[in-house]
Order: sequence, then C-alpha cells, then structure tokens
Amino acid sequence: MPPSDGSREAVDLVVRETIAVVLPSVPAGAIDGDKHLRDLGADSVDRVEIILMLLDRLRIDEPMSSLSQLPNVDALVTFLHERCH
Amino acid sequence: MDEGLQVGIEALNVYCGLAQIPVEAIFAGRGLNEERLANLMMYERSLNLPFEDPITNAVNAAKPIVDALDPEEKERIEILITSTESGIDYSKSVASYVHDFLGLNRQCRVIEAKQACYAATGAVQMGAAYVASGISPGAKVLVIATDVSLVDERVDYTEPVMGAGAAAVLVSGRPRILTIDLGAFGTHSFETLDSARPDPTFDIADVDVSLFAYLDCLKHAFLAYRDRVEGTDFAATFDFLVMHTPFAGLVKAGHRKMMREFAREGAAEIEQDFKRRVLPSLAYGSKVGNLCSGAVYLALASLIDTVQPDTGYRVGLFSYGSGCSSEFFSGVIDQESTAALAGMQIGRHLAERSALTFDDYEGLLKDNYGCLVPQKERDIEVGRWSTILDRRSDRRSLLALKGVRNYHRQYEWV
Repeated sequence: MPPSDGSREAVDLVVRETIAVVLPSVPAGAIDGDKHLRDLGADSVDRVEIILMLLDRLRIDEPMSSLSQLPNVDALVTFLHERCH
Repeated sequence: MDEGLQVGIEALNVYCGLAQIPVEAIFAGRGLNEERLANLMMYERSLNLPFEDPITNAVNAAKPIVDALDPEEKERIEILITSTESGIDYSKSVASYVHDFLGLNRQCRVIEAKQACYAATGAVQMGAAYVASGISPGAKVLVIATDVSLVDERVDYTEPVMGAGAAAVLVSGRPRILTIDLGAFGTHSFETLDSARPDPTFDIADVDVSLFAYLDCLKHAFLAYRDRVEGTDFAATFDFLVMHTPFAGLVKAGHRKMMREFAREGAAEIEQDFKRRVLPSLAYGSKVGNLCSGAVYLALASLIDTVQPDTGYRVGLFSYGSGCSSEFFSGVIDQESTAALAGMQIGRHLAERSALTFDDYEGLLKDNYGCLVPQKERDIEVGRWSTILDRRSDRRSLLALKGVRNYHRQYEWV
C-alpha cells in the first residue's frame, strides 16, 4: 500500500520495511541511511527485488534504470518520495 | 515475399571450450561470500586455453554445421556474420579468418557485427530478412557469436559467471531448429554505459546499471512485440522462454518481474511457471557462464536438448546487449528440432570439459589476458595442453592458435 500521508517519513518507513523483508538479517531499525544496499548485504538479485517491491508498493511507474546510480538508502528514499507526488 | 515461405534456424551448435572450473572453486579461491551462490544459480564456467581465441571458438562451433552440408548447400552460404565484443583488430574482422578456415564460398559476404551481447540476434534477424526477401532463393546466412572472457578478481562477483566460447547459427528457408515468427518482434534500445571493454585486456561493468537496463529492456522489448502481435499474453502465448543469460539468477528475476507485471500471479504460481517455462533453457548456461551474444542461442540449445520436444512449441526469445540494445522475438520448435540438435552432442561436450583447480585457473587467466592484444610476433606452444586435448572422446580436429607473424594470426588443426 502507498504511505497514507505521502510524507518523506512514511516513504522512509516503507523503504526500511521492504529492505528488512528481502534481507531478514537486517532489522529495519538498524539500517543506516548513508549506506548503499550493497553495503547492507544485498546482492544484485536482492537489489533488483528491493527496487521492484518498492516501485510496486508505492505505485510508482518509473524505469528501473532511473534508480541504478543512487548512492545510498537516503537518496533512494528522496527519489521515491519525489515520485510519490 | 513468398507467403508460404518458412524462415529460421536450420542448424545450431555451440562450442564452449575444453576446460571448466566450478563456480564454488572461484568463490573459495577469491574469498567471496558463499551465501551469494544461491541467487547466482551458476555451477561451472568455461575457460579458454591459451591456444583458443574468438576465431578458434567460432570455427570450432561452426565446423560441424558446415561439414554436415553437402557441397551445393555449403556454396549457398551467402553471408557470414561474426558477432563479437572480442575483436582482434580495429579493421580486420574475426569473420575474415573464419571464412577461410570454414572453406566458405569466395562469393560470400563477410562482415563482423558489434553490439555487446545483442549483436548476434540483430545479425540473425537481418539474415532471416535476407532469406525471406526472396532476392536469392535458397540462400543461407551463417551467424557466429564468438567471445572470450577477460575478467578476474577486479570485477568481484562477475568473475565466476563469465564464460567463453561461440554459438553458430545457420539461417535459411529450411528451418529445422527454430521457425522464426516473421514480423513478430519488438526492439528497445538506449544509450548507457553499463558494461564495456575499453581496452583489449579488461572489462568494466556497473552491475546495477546493467541489471536494471536489462530488466527495463525486457519489459519494453516485450511491449513493442505486443504492439506488433495482437493478443500476445506473456503468461500464455509462449510455451517456453529463452533469455540472454548473464547469470541464471537474473533470468529468474526477470521472469518474476514480468509475471508480476503482466500476469499478476502469486509467488508460488510464478515459481512453478519459472520451473516449467524457463528453467530448461538454463541447464547449459549455468555450466558455461555468460556466453555474451551466443548466450541466448546456448539457452535455446539447452531448451531443446532438455525438453526434447515431440510436438510444436512456441518460444519467446529475449536478447540484450549492453550499451544498450535488445529484442524480444519468437519462433516454433518441434520434434525436428530435437533430431537436428541431437547430433551436436552439446551436453556430452560440456560434461567432458576438464575440471581446473583454482591454481590452474589463475595461471590460465594470466595467459588469456593477451588473447586480444595486438602483437607483431607471438608463439604459442599448443602441445603444452596435450593432456587436456587428448582427454576428449570426440576426436574431431579443432582449430588452434599457434602464433602471430607480422600481426597475422597463425592457426593449425589439432
């Protein structure tokens, strides 16, 4: 489901929940926004899965290539938040 | 165009070298995280020996096809296209050597195509259009996708999944392997630097840029196909799917993405569909590694040898090349495909490759770096590898690089 209020905080929560689903060993509360998904232990297939789940959950229609060079989790949240509106 | 004309792949063979190393051995040797093996879905990778190069791979893949033709049929090979991202010269093509060692007609057009892992499909489609045009009835077009791998530990998890070898595809009006659905295709291309070979000694790749471009192209090439072919349903139109295979795990992720988007299936149904429609095409690729522009044709061979069709099946094929260009097209395989491919004994050849230790592998990597580097003079002692050569149960002659004289590559049959 899309975040109820569309706020950055709500998108941030969705991102953390989604990462934790794909990477069960990484608790949502322990995700450092400065880190790349790679540094959290996500391999390339995990990263594809996280991005696809996020685009689906937030109902964002965006080419995956637009998200391939975001430097960290915070940048991913910002990108998705901007596309939610 | 003759409305009743069938066009497609008459013959197919792949050559994937004489040596392989288990992917697990590379993981252990490089200290890579073994938890990542599961998502890769790769088990072995082929490695060339120092006397193998893009020319020997191409000839060794195509020779059984050409030798099986009678002399009149062989004369009808009117176009030879080598598809490679492993060029050996800025001007002289791989095809020029291949034309000679296959003994093809001197009236044959000889060219080389480059668009990373896509070029062979572009060549096959242009060959099919030439045959279908009817401007030279009975003509055949030989497309050979041929590459070598130059990766090492600098590319982390890409190293264990790169392959080497060639796929030879004979296109004609007598399709026995795959009858191409003429006019049923969708293409999608845009500029990106996802992976490249800026120098003849190394590759560069941005994994996320490349994987995401592949997945975007899969979607949009399919949508372009659907625009041309009314009523296409990703889940129902194709009995099987054959996709460019950088590593099998990406094909699985791509199938899952497409099924979610176009079939809205649940996870269990998607997994079941993957095993039924996609997995048979991955058996060979997971033992060879990424065969670059030959990968989709290795996957087609894997599908036919694994399923051994006894009736007609429609296959959706997806080809992707970094940079990037892609195509989704389709065709039909049937019982004749099973018979036509069986004689190549691809599975047996893969099983007979010599297994390398990690130390052997590292030594070979160093030798192989020089494979594409222009050198005025060079000598290669083919006999050093006689133990591996002698281990083959198929004793057909193979082409081997024995040296370079004044920039001219020199070969011998071994």
